[in-house]
Amino acid sequence: MSRLIAYLRGIARRRRIDVEIDEELAFHVEQETERHIALGLSPADARREALIGIGGLTQTREASRLVRSTSLDAIWRDLQHAIRSLSATPAFTAVALAVLTLSIGATTAIYSVVDGVMLRALPFPTPDRLVAVGEQHIRSASAQDLNLAAPQNFLDWRAQQDVFTGIAAIGYASISVRPENGREPETLEAQAVTADFFPVLGVSPIIGRTFTTESEVDGRAQVAVISYGLWQRRFGGAADVVGRLLPGQRGDFEILGVMPPTFAYPVGASRSTEVWIPNVFRPEDRVRANEYSYRLQVIGRLRDGVTLAMGQARMDQITAALAAATPHWFKDRAAKVERLDEYLTRGVRTWMFMLLIAVAFVLLIACVNLANLMLVRASVRRRELAIRSALGASRADLARTLLIEGLVLSLVGAALGVALAWAGAAVLRAAIPPEVPRIADISIDLRVLAAMAAVAVASGLIFSAAPVLQFSRPVTGPAIARMLRAKTTPALQWLRGALVTLEVALAVVLLVGAGLFLASFARVTRVDLGIDPQDVLTVRIRPLTGAHNWQLAQQRNRGLLENVLQRVRAIPGVDVAALVSGGMPLRGDLRTIDFGIPGRLLPRGEDLDFNEVSADYFRVLGVPLLKGRFFDQGDRGGGEPVALINEAAARTYFPGDDPVGRIIEFDGARRIVGVVGNIRHDGPETDWRRQGFIPLHQSRAVGATLVLRLSRNARDIVPMVKSAIWTQFPDLALPDVEMLSGYLGNLIASRRFNMQLLTLFAVLAVVIACVGIYGVITYSVSLRTQEFAVRLALGALPRVIVWSVLGRALIYLGGGLAIGLAAAGTLATLVSGFFFETRPHDPWVYTSVAATLVATGVIAALLPARRAARVDPLVALRVE
Amino acid sequence: MPRTELLQGTLDLLLLRVLVLGPNHGWGIANRIRQMSQEGLSASQGSLYPALHRLEIRGEVTSEMTPSENNRRARVYTITTAGRRRLKVEQKGWEHFALSMRRVLETE
Repeated sequence: MSRLIAYLRGIARRRRIDVEIDEELAFHVEQETERHIALGLSPADARREALIGIGGLTQTREASRLVRSTSLDAIWRDLQHAIRSLSATPAFTAVALAVLTLSIGATTAIYSVVDGVMLRALPFPTPDRLVAVGEQHIRSASAQDLNLAAPQNFLDWRAQQDVFTGIAAIGYASISVRPENGREPETLEAQAVTADFFPVLGVSPIIGRTFTTESEVDGRAQVAVISYGLWQRRFGGAADVVGRLLPGQRGDFEILGVMPPTFAYPVGASRSTEVWIPNVFRPEDRVRANEYSYRLQVIGRLRDGVTLAMGQARMDQITAALAAATPHWFKDRAAKVERLDEYLTRGVRTWMFMLLIAVAFVLLIACVNLANLMLVRASVRRRELAIRSALGASRADLARTLLIEGLVLSLVGAALGVALAWAGAAVLRAAIPPEVPRIADISIDLRVLAAMAAVAVASGLIFSAAPVLQFSRPVTGPAIARMLRAKTTPALQWLRGALVTLEVALAVVLLVGAGLFLASFARVTRVDLGIDPQDVLTVRIRPLTGAHNWQLAQQRNRGLLENVLQRVRAIPGVDVAALVSGGMPLRGDLRTIDFGIPGRLLPRGEDLDFNEVSADYFRVLGVPLLKGRFFDQGDRGGGEPVALINEAAARTYFPGDDPVGRIIEFDGARRIVGVVGNIRHDGPETDWRRQGFIPLHQSRAVGATLVLRLSRNARDIVPMVKSAIWTQFPDLALPDVEMLSGYLGNLIASRRFNMQLLTLFAVLAVVIACVGIYGVITYSVSLRTQEFAVRLALGALPRVIVWSVLGRALIYLGGGLAIGLAAAGTLATLVSGFFFETRPHDPWVYTSVAATLVATGVIAALLPARRAARVDPLVALRVE
Repeated sequence: MPRTELLQGTLDLLLLRVLVLGPNHGWGIANRIRQMSQEGLSASQGSLYPALHRLEIRGEVTSEMTPSENNRRARVYTITTAGRRRLKVEQKGWEHFALSMRRVLETE
C-alpha cells in the first residue's frame, strides 16, 4: 500500500517537474523574445530567434528532464534494462536461477527440520526451567542411556526434593477402546502420568480438571484427561464431555478434562498421545526388593532461583542418603538432572548437526558458483561498461545497473527457493524416520528463510558489482580501446579459477560423505539376517487377561490361537502360517530366561533368548534346520518337553559336540531335538544372539504373533486375517499389523534417510560444480578464440587445442580434488559413528569419488574444448 | 569579435561565477554571461538548463520557483557553499590552464 502511494507520488512529482521545466523554458523564450524586440526585430522574428537560441524547445526539455528526473525513474530504467539483458542471456539466467533455487530451497528445508527437532524452544511456559531427572549407570559411558527411573526411587525423590516446583513420572500405557457403532476396536496412545505432570509442564486443561495424587492408587485410577484431538474425533467436541466415559476394554475411564489443542507430550511425536491416565503405584513399587524395574521417565520444573547445578547437587544428596539405606540398589548408579530439551533430542543431535553442515556445504557451493557466474558475466560486459563509462555514466550509474541486475536475479531465485523449501519440508517431514523426536514441530521458519535468501542474494550482489571497481576513474580514449581488446584482467581470471577449485573441493567433501553413507547402507542391506523378511505378514494378538485367571486364560487362549491358525491357513494367498510368542525378530521385543545344562557349571546368569513357536515358524521365516528335526504335531502338552537351539547357542554351549538329544534346563528340563540357523534378532547392525525355542503347545503363552508367508498382496489378505481373529477373540484391538519387511525398514530408516539426503546433496553439488567448470572453461575459450584460430590456421591439430583447454580444467579439478579429499578425510572421522562396517577412509569410496568427479568435470570441460577445436579461422579472425 | 564556442567543462564554471553575484534565473544568467564577456561568450542555451539542473542535483546550487518581474513564475537559482567551494577549485584550475596555454602559445 505504502509502495503504491510512493509510486503515485513519483508519477505526480514527475508531472510537476515537467510542468516546471516547461514553465522555466517558456519564461526564457519570452524574455529572449523581448530582448530581440528591443534590439529591433519584429515580434515574429524575435520569437523565432529566441527559439533557435534555445536549440529546439523539445530537445531542451527532454535534456533537462533527464537530469532532473527522480532516482525512481533511473531505477525503473535500470530494472527494465536488467530484465532485458537477463532475458537476452537465457542460459546464464536459467543456470543462475536453478542454483539459487536449489540451494535456498534445500538449505531452508533442512534447517527447518533441524530447527523443529532440536533448536526451537519447547512449547511450554518458561521451557528453560524444565528438566529431566533420571538414573544413570556410572560406568557405562554411553550418553545414549535411556535415563529412566525406578518407581521406588521416584517416590522417594518426590517426597524429599525441594529444588523443583514438582516432579512427575511418565510411564507407557495404551488403552484399547471397545468398538462402538460398528467401528473397529482401536488402541489409543496413552501415557500413565503422576498428578504433577500437568503443573510441571505448566499447562492447564481447557475444560474440566486434571487428576491428583489421590488417583495414583489402584481402584481410583479409572479417570482420564484426553487430548483436544480425541475430544473432537470421538466426542465431536461435545461441551458436556467431562464426566462421560471412555469405554476401555479393562474398564471405563471417567473423563476429567480436555487439554488445549497445542498441548503435546512427548513434544511433536510422530504419533501423538491422546489419553493421560494416572500412573498407579502398586504396593511392590513402594519397597526396595531384589527386583529392579527402570520404567519411568521423570520430568521436573526447577524452582525460581535454582540452577541446574543446584538441582543436581540436591539430587546427589538425596541419592546418597537413599544409597546408605539400600546400597545394592544404588551400586554404580546416580541420579542425573539435565535440561529437558537436551534430554529429548540427545540421540539425534550429532546427526542433525551433520545434516546441517552437509546442506551448508551445498549453500556454500551455490554461493561460490553464483559469484563465479556473475564474474564471468561481468567480464563479458566490460565492453558495454567501458562504452557507457566513456559516454559519461558515473561509477555509481554502472554499479546501480549491475546491482539491480543482480538483485532481480537473486530475488526471483529466492522466491523460487521459498517455493521449493515449502515443498521440501513437507517431503522431509514424511520421509524422516519416526523415532526422531518433535517431527510434528517441523515447519518453515520465516526468519530462517529470510536468512538463507539473504545469504544467497548478498553473494550474488557482491560479485555482480565487482567489475565496477575497475571504473574508479573516468575511462579515457586509449584505456577504452585497451579494455575493448583485453576483455579481462589477470586478477579476475585468477579469482575465477580459485572459485571453481573451491567448488570442486566442496563437492568432493559431499561426494565422499554420500559415498560413505551409500557404502554403509549397501552393507546394511546386504547383511545376512538369517531370515527372509519379504512377504511375511505379522499380526500381534494380545488377548486381555485379568491376573487372577491367568491359568484359565492360558488354556482357553491356546485353543483359540490354534483355531485362528486353522482359519488363516484356509485363506487363499497364505502359504504358511505360524504363531510365535516371546521375541519376534526385528520388532524390538525380546524375552530371555535362565538357561542351564544339568551336570555342567555355567556362569551364573547365563540366559538364552526364549521363543515359543508353532511348528511351521521356521518355514515361514525361512530359517534352515542344521541338525535334528523341527517341532512337529507330536510336540504337544502331554509329550516330552523339547527345545530347539540355534547355531550360536550350540557353538557356545556344545563346542565340538552334537547337542541333539541333550537335556537342558530351559523353562524346565527339555530335550534338544534340533539345531536351527542363526537370526539377527535385533536387525542387521547387531550380532547373532544365542536363542532357544520351545513348542507353543508346551508353553504358558497367553498371546502370540501370527506370522504368515504370503503369495498375494497383503492388502487383500489383512481384512480376512482380522475377521478370522475376531471369530475367536471378539472385539480385540489389533494395532500391530505390519509386514516383517516393514519392521526391517524401520530399523534402517535413519540410514536410508541419511543416505538419500546426502546423495541428493552430493549430486546437487557435483552438478553445480560442473556448471561452474563449464562456465569458466567456456569463457576462457571465448577469450582465446583468436589464438585458437591462428593456431589452427597455422596447422595445429584440433586434438592439441582440445588438450590445451582441458589442461586448465584438469588444474581446477586436481586442485579441488586434493583439497576436498583432505578435508573429507578429516570430516569423515568426525562422523564415523554413522557408518556401518565402513572405515572413514575407505579407499574404494575415495577412489570412486575422485573418478566420478574427474569424469564429470572433464565432460563439462569437453563441450567448450571441442567447440574451441572447431573454430573456423576465417570467421574468427574476421571479427577483429 | 566572433562568439567563441564554450570549451567542454567551462559552462559550470561560468554559471557558478555568475551566481556568486547573486541569485538569478536561467535567462538572467545567460544574459549576464553575454554582458560580462562583452558578447564574447554565449552559453549554448540548449545546454544551459540541463547544466543548471545538474548543478542542482550535485548540490552546488539550489532553486526555487518565484514570481518574476512581469508576473510569470521563474526558477531562480542560488549558489550554495558547496558551489562556492567548487567555483574556487574550478577557477584555480582554469587559471592554471589558461596560463599554461598562454605560455605555450607565446613561447617563441
